[in-house]
Amino acid sequence: MQRRSFFKVAGASVAASTLVLAGCSDDPEPTPVAENVLAFSGFNSTGQPIDDGILNYAYLLTQLEAAFYLKVVAAPPADLQPGELAYLTDLRDHELIHREYLKAILGSKAYDSSAAAPLEFTFTSFTLTTRAGVWAAAQQLEDIGAAAYNGAGKLLTVTANLLALAKIASVESRHAALAHEMVQADSFGATIGADGLDDAKTPTEVFVLIQPFVPIKLSAANLPTT
Amino acid sequence: MDILKLLADLAETPTDLTQLASRRAALDGLRRVGAKTIAAALPLSLAALPSQAGDTRTVLDSLQLAVRLEQLQNAFYSRALTSAAGFFPADANFRSSIVKMQAHQQQHVALLTRIISSSNGDTPTLPNYDFTGSKNNTQASLFPNVFSNFDEFLRLAQLLEDTSVRAYKAIVEFLVQDNYTLQTALQLHSTEARHAARIRTMRRLRGAVVKPWPSPTDADITIAGRTAVVYATEHATTQLLPAPANTPIPFRLLPIGSGANLLTQSVPEAFDEPLAAAEVELIMGLFTY
Repeated sequence: MQRRSFFKVAGASVAASTLVLAGCSDDPEPTPVAENVLAFSGFNSTGQPIDDGILNYAYLLTQLEAAFYLKVVAAPPADLQPGELAYLTDLRDHELIHREYLKAILGSKAYDSSAAAPLEFTFTSFTLTTRAGVWAAAQQLEDIGAAAYNGAGKLLTVTANLLALAKIASVESRHAALAHEMVQADSFGATIGADGLDDAKTPTEVFVLIQPFVPIKLSAANLPTT
Repeated sequence: MDILKLLADLAETPTDLTQLASRRAALDGLRRVGAKTIAAALPLSLAALPSQAGDTRTVLDSLQLAVRLEQLQNAFYSRALTSAAGFFPADANFRSSIVKMQAHQQQHVALLTRIISSSNGDTPTLPNYDFTGSKNNTQASLFPNVFSNFDEFLRLAQLLEDTSVRAYKAIVEFLVQDNYTLQTALQLHSTEARHAARIRTMRRLRGAVVKPWPSPTDADITIAGRTAVVYATEHATTQLLPAPANTPIPFRLLPIGSGANLLTQSVPEAFDEPLAAAEVELIMGLFTY
């Protein structure tokens, strides 16, 4: 939440402004003209830090997870254990609610608010025909989500937005712990490191991890780093 | 919450009196701003934050609350790990998870102590714990067999872990001036949420009706007037747009699907709610004397 260092980042924001999508409500598609880059911006036209970029980043993560569970629940693997489809259905519902929650908070600032169709994510790298494959994929996505929220909180400038994100962050961590238990009993703490701290990742680190699932190049260059 | 009750609770908190002088001194070293100042800069509506009304905690207050909660949990798991043979189930994964959680809580105490000390704050001294809730046999027990009945132990573990999640969620707003401390609190919050989910899945494996996240469908394990505060306001069926809008989000009208249970089950499950410091104190107070 420090505002001291935004000026140097603001320069980068202006230089890359042709690629900026967030808040450009007159863009008909979530695809900018210059290159196929989705670059959320955390600064307004005068270089002041705003939360739109980080909230859009969180929104994209919830879209990704919702799309994943929608796909899994629509065609669940045949070898699910009793109770597991109910878990996956709950996870789907939670992610759909998180997606619509962030979309509602963003309103017209949602990066795809005027897009003809939402992004279509690709999950071909996962094996979704077995319970082991589904839970391994869920573990991977939920761990990314939890670490992303842990790293995003400090990048917000408005306390109300921090509280909004914190309400869903711990539910993501609970999801992640469940997925770990489904993969391997007693592995709930696999991402917890020194000092007993769960993982935290920057938007740049998260974009590298989720790029394989997203059909457009992601850039965190215009997001705040402090 | 009831403001008079809040004030009464705060007045009864012994650390407020005994550590006032040292806290004043520490505040100079902390360079930090009280929540009142932040609230003035970024108006927070009472409608959005009913449980925080009137709460003017500082960074140090918040960290001291957190370390006391971690101390309590560390003592709780440490004591369980010394229980008589046969306390833990045959499946070694159960004890192994408790070993991991105790290690994490101990690490949390050490980390928070370092942060508080580096700001010239005092780490609270350890109180006496009685996890039966009998306050050293001066009143009826809440958990009489907590270290001999594993299911009873898990019930209290769940209440304490879920309390921690809610407590951290409530204190992050008092840490916004310091990125390092804020992120640390969010990472601690996340660890506690993983603990809570694991405790809940352990209970489920042993036949309890419970999900990894607080759900209105969970079998109630609280006692009215005592531990009920742990889930009071947790199963919110309405979420508001962040201040200054503060209008309810019309989930029913959004493309979410899910049938009749959307508002009564899925929405409450999808959000964890904060718990104000005064209520966290009430819960800790049940197990200290």
